Amino acid sequence: MTQQRRLTIRLGVIAATAASALLLAGCSGSANGGSPDTQKDTKTFSLAFGVSNQVETGYEKLAKEYMTQNPGVKITLNKLPGETYSQTIRTQLQAGNASDVFVTSPGVGEAYSVVPLAKAGLLAPLDDVAKKIIPSGADAQFTVDGKVYGQALDIAFVGNIYNELPGVAYPTDFQGVLDTCASVAAQGKSLFVIAGSIGANTGIMAQTIAATRVYADDPKWDQERTAGKTTFAKSAGWKETLQDIVAMNKAGCFQKGAEGAGFDAITNGLTQGAAVGMFGPSGAATEINTAAQGHAKFDVQAFPAKTSKDKQYGVASSTYAYSIAAGSKNKVAAQKFLDWMAKPAQSKAFATDQGTIPVSGYQDVDFSNSVYAPVEKLLKDGAYTPLPISSWSNAAVYDALGAGVQGLLTGQKTVDQVLADMDSAWG
Amino acid sequence: MLDSETERVVLPDRGGRRAPQPRRKGLPQFGRWWWALPGIAMVIAVHYVATAFGGAFAFTNWSGLGAFDWIGFENFRRIFADSGKLLALGNTLFLAFGAVILTNIAGLAVALGLNRGLKSRYTLRVLFFMPVVLSPLAVSYIWKFIFDYNGPLNAVLRGMGLDHIARAWTGDPTWAIWTILIVIVWQQTGFSMVIYMAGLAAVPVEIEEAAAIDGANLWQRFWHVTFPAIRPAVAISTTLGLVNGLRVFDQIMALTGTGPAGATSTLATEVYKQAFTLGNFGYGAALALVLTAIILVFAVIQQRVSAGRQED
Repeated sequence: MTQQRRLTIRLGVIAATAASALLLAGCSGSANGGSPDTQKDTKTFSLAFGVSNQVETGYEKLAKEYMTQNPGVKITLNKLPGETYSQTIRTQLQAGNASDVFVTSPGVGEAYSVVPLAKAGLLAPLDDVAKKIIPSGADAQFTVDGKVYGQALDIAFVGNIYNELPGVAYPTDFQGVLDTCASVAAQGKSLFVIAGSIGANTGIMAQTIAATRVYADDPKWDQERTAGKTTFAKSAGWKETLQDIVAMNKAGCFQKGAEGAGFDAITNGLTQGAAVGMFGPSGAATEINTAAQGHAKFDVQAFPAKTSKDKQYGVASSTYAYSIAAGSKNKVAAQKFLDWMAKPAQSKAFATDQGTIPVSGYQDVDFSNSVYAPVEKLLKDGAYTPLPISSWSNAAVYDALGAGVQGLLTGQKTVDQVLADMDSAWG
Repeated sequence: MLDSETERVVLPDRGGRRAPQPRRKGLPQFGRWWWALPGIAMVIAVHYVATAFGGAFAFTNWSGLGAFDWIGFENFRRIFADSGKLLALGNTLFLAFGAVILTNIAGLAVALGLNRGLKSRYTLRVLFFMPVVLSPLAVSYIWKFIFDYNGPLNAVLRGMGLDHIARAWTGDPTWAIWTILIVIVWQQTGFSMVIYMAGLAAVPVEIEEAAAIDGANLWQRFWHVTFPAIRPAVAISTTLGLVNGLRVFDQIMALTGTGPAGATSTLATEVYKQAFTLGNFGYGAALALVLTAIILVFAVIQQRVSAGRQED
């Protein structure tokens, strides 16, 4: 064999191995640890959640509180790196060595979402306590074939995180948005700062605007799309949503260079006062206010309807849930912990830590002195839709939306092309 | 084979290598072939079995969880029917060949410049090679800052009165792919330089001097004396550059995240996105196989071309 042939074969092996090694992560099978009815209370279980720094999270605080209140119980905390949390959980579940309890994402949009994991038989069904605290209209995000597989931990309002500056009142209709954009731009600032290169951020913006354009009049639009009764391309509401983004871009609503900006642009823009608001989940308002130490007052706003006569509507969704692994041998102890977490006291403590809304008992909470004051009426009236992507068929639809909005900002795509891409990704 | 009288004079005698000493009796007998069996087993398990498993998933609709169905060549049909994937294929080839051509030209130029004569050549060699040892991710994030709308590059342009040229470089549909190419070339030039310096070290200065005495100018000495002598280095540098260029990933994810709107996606980033972000393991595996085939084809072609030239 010549040196050249040996090198050729070696190159082939290297190339093939590099390209296919990624496929081995989840090849193992999972084991079923039996139903809670056949198990004993082992008084011990493990709990996994993602972390991005050394700060103690709400998951950890409440687990320790549970052990304090229940001296015989031992919880092993498995802190996983936040940036690879979803892949790690997925791989562990497939391998059968996942923690007994772990954090999941409601719906279908993420790699660790409740519905696909439950359909793959990797999650254990939960009891009626979890069923009772499913937020209004969000059953599809937690249930499969009538059984509940995720227990909601909190509710986040997704809208505008807005700095209440003197002289820049939050607009009440879309024309007001465009007018405010122009007046703020004249001062060398932007009304909104976005991470235009991050599909997750442009996608959040589109969903926030779609709340009034699509879901205010047709709260069950996602179910209709799932049933094949409509499409994005046929939806006047979705078309208007994307057209409004194009109009906002032309009106100078976003910072200059928005199409290439990352999350750092949002942080810098808001903290340096170059922008007034952003699109994102409500927890960010609490975080920014804490970091600003009284020098700024950010609150949560719902994006205005087209006109002041149109119905105002918002987006509010559970961002995280607890699930139990199907292969867990400590299901009884794990289920008892989840029942304890569902109680209003624990729900409130967790939401306070996260800067979100308690999943149980929030109807009785007074939001008037909190960041949620502007959207309190929407929350109490139930005038909100769950985050649309958590009901969509697969993650590729959201990917098409996020990339499509970026394409609208750069002029690469038209509104109709983006809607067609989303329908194509729906499958 | 020696081509000239000068080479016969200056090059060491290749036939003069001494045969290895026979093993003396009474010493322990080390180095049995079966000692390599654990290593061979690992190579087979990690390289060949893993490759076979990975390749098999390309013919399934596996989501990464639970059961899957065999769907034949459906994944490959989807790949070649998707204009987005064809764009990714085009970007893959553009970055690979662009990087190979530019890094080799720049690397050879730097190697020639720093080969001998210059007093500060050792310091300059270190400076040119330093980017190679840095993390591609770290380098890319620094360049992302440079290319930022409010970054140093645009500040310089505005300072020169060229405001109309300033833009969000990594978010520009035309320029984003070029920012990636610039970063790759900037970081990989040092690697090519080292390979060419090793090749140039084997070119006897006496031959060049003889050519100069015979009246050859600088370009003729390079083209007819130096370049033929470093052809093996050219083959190695271009082959490694091509394989690495086809697999480039870190720089894209850090600089553009495959944007704007997928304008800088490549087959490697699509493999990652489909398999890990979107949960389409089968489709991702099919893309990986396509990428593998492309790497193999171009590596073989490149080797054949290089071998042909050497025989000439």
